[in-house]
Amino acid sequence: MTSFASKRLAKELSKLKNGLPPGIDLISADNFEEWLMDIRVLDDNPIYRGEVYRLKFRFSPQYPIEPPEVTFIKQSDRPIPTHPHIYSNGIICLDLLGSQGWSPVQNVETVCMSLQSMLTGNSKNERPPGDEEFVRSNRKRPRDIDFYYDDNTV
Amino acid sequence: MKVNITRWDTVATWRWDIPEDDVCGICQVHFDGTCPTCKYPGDDCRLLSGKCGHNFHMHCIMTWIKQDAAKGQCPMCRQRFEWADQPQESTVQTEAEE
Repeated sequence: MTSFASKRLAKELSKLKNGLPPGIDLISADNFEEWLMDIRVLDDNPIYRGEVYRLKFRFSPQYPIEPPEVTFIKQSDRPIPTHPHIYSNGIICLDLLGSQGWSPVQNVETVCMSLQSMLTGNSKNERPPGDEEFVRSNRKRPRDIDFYYDDNTV
Repeated sequence: MKVNITRWDTVATWRWDIPEDDVCGICQVHFDGTCPTCKYPGDDCRLLSGKCGHNFHMHCIMTWIKQDAAKGQCPMCRQRFEWADQPQESTVQTEAEE
């Protein structure tokens, strides 16, 4: 890993350890390749009330020039949130995480906050169209998938 | 009394003439430090100011702006990134020790 990514991540980590916004927790950051974060929504949105969701961040040596790969991961007490832009395998369709919407001034904290507000603002208790087929057939990593960001309503 | 100075060591700190708490948005390092690829601050690791008002380490913004994904835009405000003429005056404070 280049020193650029690890230095930047070391900066982020020390800032995260000094405090995080409400509803966001650091679970593990043992190296500069993969971190785990927990998020929960702060309002009473009935779709997500009482649940905590786990995010996996994977960083390439080109971070933050390249976006991190961010997915929800499923555990016994950590479901995959239901949302029209989140597939049931945890892959997230969000322009911010694609090369077209990413900016290197984003960081782990701002990505978590964006996902938090993406959940908070959602009222559709449904998966993306074609979820089953996508989950069955997709072998690509999220960064290699060409998503179409055609829906700005959710 | 006569004092002979046999040797001295000089120590210098580098400071850009910009607000105290500013960090480069790309590397998150304070502007008075270097970008992550450089060792010594100063003229070899300059700052670049966009006409939009956002500053970055020159090396950081250059790495970003040459990406296709950057689309020539400032990472902070997504306006077209054009750099202003170097507005920052640098000041060097030198302290000598005996």
